[in-house]
Amino acid sequence: MTAFGASLRYEFRMQVRKRSVWIVPALTLVLFVLIGGSLLRDLFDPGERPLDPRTAVAGLAVQLHALLSIGFGCLLADRLVRDDRLGVAPVLDATPASPAARLSGKYLGAAAATAVPIAVAYFGFAAAYAIDTGRPVAMAWATAAFGVVIVPGLLLVAAFALAVPMIMPAPLFRVLFVGYWLWGNLVPPETMPTLSRTLFHPLGGYPLDALFDFHGIDGEDTWAGPIAGATWNVLRPAPTPALAWLSIALLLTVSAAALAGGHALRVRRIR
Amino acid sequence: MTLWGYEARRTGWAAVLGPPLAVALGAAAALAHPEPSDTTIARILLGGLEMAVPLAAAVVCSSLIGRDPARELQLAAPTPYRVTLLRRMAVVVGWAAVVATLTAAALIVTGWWARWPQSHGALAGQLTWLAPTVGLSGLGFAAGAVLRSPAAAGAIVTTVWAVQQFFAGAVQQHLPGRLLYLFATTRGATPGDWTANRLTLLGVGAVLIAFALVLLGRRPERLISEEDE
Amino acid sequence: MRIEISGLTKTYRGGVHAVDGLDLDIPTGMFGLLGANGAGKTTLMRILAGIVRPSSGRVVVGGHDITSGPGRTAVQRELGYLPQDLGVYPDLTARRFLDYVALLKGMDDRPARRRRVGELLEVVALTEHADRRLRGFSGGMRQRVGIAQALLADPRLLIVDEPTAGLDPEERIRFRTLLSQFAGRRTVLLSTHIVDDIGQTCREVAVLAKGRLIFRGSVDELTRRAQGRVWSVVTDGPAPAGGTVVSALPHDGGMRYRMVAAAAPDPQARQLEPTLEDGYLTVTAAGREPASRSGTPG
Repeated sequence: MTAFGASLRYEFRMQVRKRSVWIVPALTLVLFVLIGGSLLRDLFDPGERPLDPRTAVAGLAVQLHALLSIGFGCLLADRLVRDDRLGVAPVLDATPASPAARLSGKYLGAAAATAVPIAVAYFGFAAAYAIDTGRPVAMAWATAAFGVVIVPGLLLVAAFALAVPMIMPAPLFRVLFVGYWLWGNLVPPETMPTLSRTLFHPLGGYPLDALFDFHGIDGEDTWAGPIAGATWNVLRPAPTPALAWLSIALLLTVSAAALAGGHALRVRRIR
Repeated sequence: MTLWGYEARRTGWAAVLGPPLAVALGAAAALAHPEPSDTTIARILLGGLEMAVPLAAAVVCSSLIGRDPARELQLAAPTPYRVTLLRRMAVVVGWAAVVATLTAAALIVTGWWARWPQSHGALAGQLTWLAPTVGLSGLGFAAGAVLRSPAAAGAIVTTVWAVQQFFAGAVQQHLPGRLLYLFATTRGATPGDWTANRLTLLGVGAVLIAFALVLLGRRPERLISEEDE
Repeated sequence: MRIEISGLTKTYRGGVHAVDGLDLDIPTGMFGLLGANGAGKTTLMRILAGIVRPSSGRVVVGGHDITSGPGRTAVQRELGYLPQDLGVYPDLTARRFLDYVALLKGMDDRPARRRRVGELLEVVALTEHADRRLRGFSGGMRQRVGIAQALLADPRLLIVDEPTAGLDPEERIRFRTLLSQFAGRRTVLLSTHIVDDIGQTCREVAVLAKGRLIFRGSVDELTRRAQGRVWSVVTDGPAPAGGTVVSALPHDGGMRYRMVAAAAPDPQARQLEPTLEDGYLTVTAAGREPASRSGTPG
């Protein structure tokens, strides 16, 4: 087995069996259901739920992605520095396996494992909706939304969660990360400069708008493109399918760059 | 160095940098507003105190349990480890309080404090940051005691904070939600509930800290091992 | 400081009996604790140090019942403890780390604390490294810091778990001597896998297996348990079955095995005088024999 494959499998298995990987999203969902006003309840209310399954599962993707990604990022925030803390790093560094391959395996393995409860929650609610409404096509849309909206965003979060604690304490990263998530996703662009609604929008505004024709649950919102009076509108061209794919590519490129930066820092430190 | 000095050192850089960074980010957000009005700027500045400072303190409090390399020595010492952890928490919250009080004083002196209509007097107004700091830090400390994982406890604190940000309206539809709402000064739906809200947060924080201390005292051996790494 | 243990059981989550109905008296002086990994030594030491609460049974240390909170605190005031995996704060210097531990032990008088820290740094030969951060310390140096912190409050009970791991031979001998000198009217409980360390320092020893006591007596008696059971076998092939290999040395193109076995493992086997290690292997091989009591608890 390659170093990448071995590292990926090991990290996945180790992370997926951690209690906290399951407890944190579970508590988040309980809180989410308790406060009301969320799609988790409305999806099963014939008077409230969107009739179009595409809109329903896209809306579900936005809400779960916005909320569960915070726990996802916090849980991953110490995975890279942990090896040094536990004294495993020198053992692994002494193996012939390429550090880059090990890092990639660790990144994808840990991220995939931490995303399993998110996927379970998302597909679980989507399946329940599909059964409740008798619209199995919802599952196809859910699969697509998971692939192009949730996965790129999670990969971005995971890359920064692994890399940034190399240069600052993990608790400080958690504080800054949640601040960034709020700022970069939900702050209205007219109130301050923000990455919200830009091509770098980690919640996936461009794919939602251009690939899913999603304009909010009520069909009255927009998720990407320029806003009158906002700064950084140059990063908010009018959404098209091509720009949606470009947005995904940008998120993946930034993820790779963050990971490469973390890797370079680590290599410099152990030399 | 005194025992308090050593414990302050154990809380780490995140505890030192978090609160001033939080205030600085709040100020930056106020300055970045493209169409500033006095009310909006005052609200964002008070928001820095009410939102960012508690978050910074609480995330550090959530990471106090579970990563102490000398925990076995600590548990064998006559000074109870839970007292040591409480001391560290007091340092974290105390430092956040120093930063917040100085910031509040600066805002009061410069007049920005009074420009937010829902602000309160110089003394009672300190509950703007104190109540959510104690409430959220208590949650972080208790989550740390239950889960023994700074990552998980930090995730719970940040998630609760974010839920209250994202769903401010839904959270405050009912009285229990309003009483537990962290940002009642700058995003409160019912200004009349403010005092009850602040006292509730202080009470909940105190109860959560007490719960954590009881839990830490009952089965200290749980603390020897980290969470399932 | 005498330790009286009766019916002590510790069951962890999942039903694992780490200590299982243990009865043991530990007298003043050096006392050795032997046993394979998982025998329950570390759990027993953690119970005595007040870190782990027993599931049942009674433990009285110097007249204090450690199953009660006040009793535990009273014992911890008299305790020096060196855990198997010593964790330190890497950002502190050796001097500061010892100063901090001294504060945790209630040594509030600053000049006295400084003096004591200085003395112990001298004892463990770390004076010239005292103001270096622990981050840069080798395993052996770190272990010496651990030994120093255990001795800080001049404890009446010293519990040391694998204290010589990571020490070079000279340091090991030095530390053994230090422990013996320290013991005097105090109690030193020494747990180790290095049987020789016990032989050089302790008169009394207990052997645990699967959380139970399988031997309690003098070091000499443990050695005598192997009398007539230690063999030297020279062979070209593998070691003969039916015994435990203690050592293997190349010999004239073949191998010379030192073995512990109830009967001669080979017709050409030659009987040898037993060592403490042979005695330990005999006792552990016998496994679940009922506890033997000899030696007089002091």
